[in-house]
Amino acid sequence: MNSEGKFDIMVVDDEEQIRRLVRLTLEESGFGVREAYSGTIFLGEAAVHTPDLVILDLGLPDVPGSEVLRALRMFSSVPVLVLTVLSDEANRIQALEAGADDYITKPFSTGELIARIRAILRRARPSGTSVFNFGPIEVDLEKGRVLKAGRQVKLTAMEFKLLRMLVINRDKVLTHQNILSSIWGPKAIDHTNYLRIYMMHLRRKLGEDVESAGHFQTESGVGYRFVSEPLKGA
Amino acid sequence: MVRSLLTPSQGNYLDYAKVILVTACVTAAGWFLPLSYLALGYVYLLAIIVTSTQVGRMPALVSAVLSSLAWNFFFVPPRLTFSVPRLDESFLLIIYFVVALICSQLASLRFAANRATLLAESEKMHQALFGNVGHELKTPLSVFRMAVEQLDTADTERRAQLVLDLRIAVRRLESLVSNLLSLTRLESGVLRPRLDWCHARDLVAAARRSLGNRLERRTLLEDFSLELPMFRADASLMEEAIGHLLFNAAVHTPLSSEIRVGAALSADHHFFTITVADDGPGVPPEMVDRLFAKFSRGDTARPGGLGLGLSIVRGFMAAQRGDVNYFPGRKGGSIFMLRMPYSPFPDPTSP
Repeated sequence: MNSEGKFDIMVVDDEEQIRRLVRLTLEESGFGVREAYSGTIFLGEAAVHTPDLVILDLGLPDVPGSEVLRALRMFSSVPVLVLTVLSDEANRIQALEAGADDYITKPFSTGELIARIRAILRRARPSGTSVFNFGPIEVDLEKGRVLKAGRQVKLTAMEFKLLRMLVINRDKVLTHQNILSSIWGPKAIDHTNYLRIYMMHLRRKLGEDVESAGHFQTESGVGYRFVSEPLKGA
Repeated sequence: MVRSLLTPSQGNYLDYAKVILVTACVTAAGWFLPLSYLALGYVYLLAIIVTSTQVGRMPALVSAVLSSLAWNFFFVPPRLTFSVPRLDESFLLIIYFVVALICSQLASLRFAANRATLLAESEKMHQALFGNVGHELKTPLSVFRMAVEQLDTADTERRAQLVLDLRIAVRRLESLVSNLLSLTRLESGVLRPRLDWCHARDLVAAARRSLGNRLERRTLLEDFSLELPMFRADASLMEEAIGHLLFNAAVHTPLSSEIRVGAALSADHHFFTITVADDGPGVPPEMVDRLFAKFSRGDTARPGGLGLGLSIVRGFMAAQRGDVNYFPGRKGGSIFMLRMPYSPFPDPTSP
């Protein structure tokens, strides 16, 4: 938070026009905005005064985006939303592995940008409860129990672990490698087929209605995202 | 394409290998055939004619030299020695060389003609590309310019209209740029599909997400269940292919017509298919043949667009060793079917 009690967001992009437009959009939505046009300047400022959220362009001229992220992660766990261009999957995955929370592809709409930012900030706030609800589903992280409309859904230990990880990291993209190494261990990072099959079972068990609501999004070639409040019709 | 643009007279190692192989085969076969050496001489002649029409001039001449030597050494009595040819034998040998020259010349003329046609076609294509791309780029840019100039002075009502125009122009420019990028990826040969297990439902959901409000006000029916098996494909390519089909269906059919997306495993389990069907006017029969060609646009299609969408779909499917086909719907309308080779998901043994 900045001195005015607003969320402090830092926009890092070398294109002045993009920075200005993003700033206007964010300020209109009640956020406080700082700008940086290069990776080094951003890191310097962030080290002195850490913002609440960072919007980072991956195509900075001075330092590659993933390097900026790695440097940032040495001293801060501030949520980062990266801006990428289409058809740049490799870079996107690199950035997520390096600690980015989410990505958005250029050209993006302002509505989408604000929705992503809100989702990230929502997640960053600790909820203080171990029970999480979405649609007819209630997940009790402490008791390891999943209820659908009050009735228990029987999940295997692995399926629950997977659901738990997705729910804890809601509204964040989890890469395949990310999920595999934390659930099955670092040796399993190439076995995306395990993950796919468990994901399929999990979705099947939670039911058609939950599935059509769009809570579980597959990010092609990247990983999965659990969306706590999916947009209607999207 | 590259191969056919080489003039045959340049020849290459493959041509020489072909010539040597054919001569060796004729010699070997001749050795076991109870034919007179003169008859065999004509068999060599035949071989020269056939090979010379397919190779360059130098390999054709080599073919003549090899044949005359082989015929003389192996078959002209006394066998297995070189002998000074008699008059009629010499005559046949001379014919070898003349035939080789004539045939290779004819072939090279044909190649040259082909090449000219190909170049003319590619020239035409480039002109079409630059002409159309120029037009397609300038239209939204002119809209931007005019709208921006007027935004300052326009009243509220006019402003709302301008914003709407800007939005449409932005969308047009966006899809043009992304299509051109896709086409470049396809044609530059840098497209390396990364096949991985995909679920049809995810692909369609992602394609719908990427189209955003371009599908709003449309009834889109998804006709497949969670029980469908996964299949191997490149998710982003499939997503874009499905996106193009959905977009086409939305653009070329009236608002009232519903769009149906289906996915299925073929009866023999060899293919996985995703279909996009609509109740629109369908594709006119004369258009079907060039439906998937680059810059191919329906004569009645709305203005704007380059006619790249379906060619990109075809390119992306081919890159993944799949294909795309068009079928007319039973009650009118179109059915587009994306098809990928299918093999079952390996048994998941718990890690």
